[in-house]
Amino acid sequence: MSSPDERVAANVAQWTLTNAEYTDEQAERTWRRDELVWGVFSVPDEWIGDVTGLDVVELGCGTAFESARLARKGARVVGVDPTPAQLATARRMMEAVGPEFPLVEAPAENVPLPDDSFDLAVSGYGASLWADPRKWLPEAARLLRPGGRLLFLTTSPLAHLCMPDSDDVPITNTLQRPQFAPWEVEWEGYQGVEYHVSHGDWIRVLRESGFVLDALHELQAPEGARRHEYYNVIAPTWARRWPGEDLWEVHLR
Amino acid sequence: MSELDSITANIAEWTETNKQFTDANAKRAWDHEGILWGVFSIPEEQVGALPDVNGLDVVELGCGTAYFGSWLARRGARVTGVDPTPAQLATARRMMQETGIDFPLVEAPAEKVPLPDASFDLAVSEYGACLWADPYQWVPEAARLLRPGGLLVFLLNGTLVYLCAPPGEEDTVGTKLLRDQFGMYRIQWEGATGIEYHLSHSDWIKVLRENGFEIEALHELRPHPEAVDPTYYDYVTVEWAQKWPAEEIWVARKRA
Repeated sequence: MSSPDERVAANVAQWTLTNAEYTDEQAERTWRRDELVWGVFSVPDEWIGDVTGLDVVELGCGTAFESARLARKGARVVGVDPTPAQLATARRMMEAVGPEFPLVEAPAENVPLPDDSFDLAVSGYGASLWADPRKWLPEAARLLRPGGRLLFLTTSPLAHLCMPDSDDVPITNTLQRPQFAPWEVEWEGYQGVEYHVSHGDWIRVLRESGFVLDALHELQAPEGARRHEYYNVIAPTWARRWPGEDLWEVHLR
Repeated sequence: MSELDSITANIAEWTETNKQFTDANAKRAWDHEGILWGVFSIPEEQVGALPDVNGLDVVELGCGTAYFGSWLARRGARVTGVDPTPAQLATARRMMQETGIDFPLVEAPAEKVPLPDASFDLAVSEYGACLWADPYQWVPEAARLLRPGGLLVFLLNGTLVYLCAPPGEEDTVGTKLLRDQFGMYRIQWEGATGIEYHLSHSDWIKVLRENGFEIEALHELRPHPEAVDPTYYDYVTVEWAQKWPAEEIWVARKRA
């Protein structure tokens, strides 16, 4: 298994590629949308609440379109991401679309921002999938003020278990791999390292990092949902029956 | 079917199961000195789900033949066993006479327990209320019975077992998802008399939170590779449970 630094480097390489292939050209569209939504089926947010005047950090912001939407709703946002190419796209969008807010180039495992400086931390397929929970959750706890909230979305353990090895094939109805396995997952033909964590392990690391559990939302694809044009592994028919994505809602003691 | 129907159905189911297995097995279970979890008999020392129970007031919700309660009583807990099935309580009383380990038993479903508010430090359920009682009724009862800061610990099947279990009792759990997760709640398996309750993890967290509990842990149990396949509760093999959590333990604390 590679070292932590090598895993961060692998994810920077992966997202440089994904940005060239997809997220850069999508940025204009994603930055111009205003609604807060979660995941590949764009489930409307019901959980973030009023962010007016809140200090918000997005961990693994990518092209920072989610941060832009939060900033428009009155939050003081900081976007954190380790991939220079994605941050360059975000900066271009700040000029083209706006608004402007600070961006910090760093992995969520080690964020050069002061303790107790945020009221809310969010991550949608950011740190939540691409950073080591044993490191980014303590970092999120350090960055948040007491009582501060963390909301993050990632692939559900069940979807991970049912995914075929090759991403040319859609998700299956059969367990393809054991749950008792290392969290680090490297897919064939893919440079990045993902972290897939069971519910029991999420709860343990969240608690050890000082978080209190408020809710787990196992997201169901909305009726009539269409397959995502790019992140297309999870079929909407599957996600009507089983949760493809989990949204964890916690707060710091 | 109303909740009352599941109570009646489950008394019938457990009267029969007691005749077939739990009565005959009671002596072996009561004689065991260590605390064991689930169908693979995983020692509590390896799990760490329970506090030191010495001196604690403990209620076991859905105690059956009360062997689990007897293990806690041996460790100095003041145990009360609660179960709706008279036949299983009769077996428990016989074991109390044989072993000299004696504690109160209350014949009641976990949905409605005739015991006072705030009278216990620990509520436990091992495939008891947590599988056979309606969670939207027994979790509020557990919260009522516990003192502020009290602990609720319960063991039941993992969600994947529910999703992958064959409809009847003829086969063991496989790898194909045979039913939806959205909507999971009540199920009567083919050929069974009783009615089981299975919630998703998110729904467990929700019902626990709504009743004033903080979630402390979800232990997803994995048996030792050399564990033996269960002979009576034989729906799952060691081989399967080595890969996926067949059983899990929730630990939740009532807010002080």
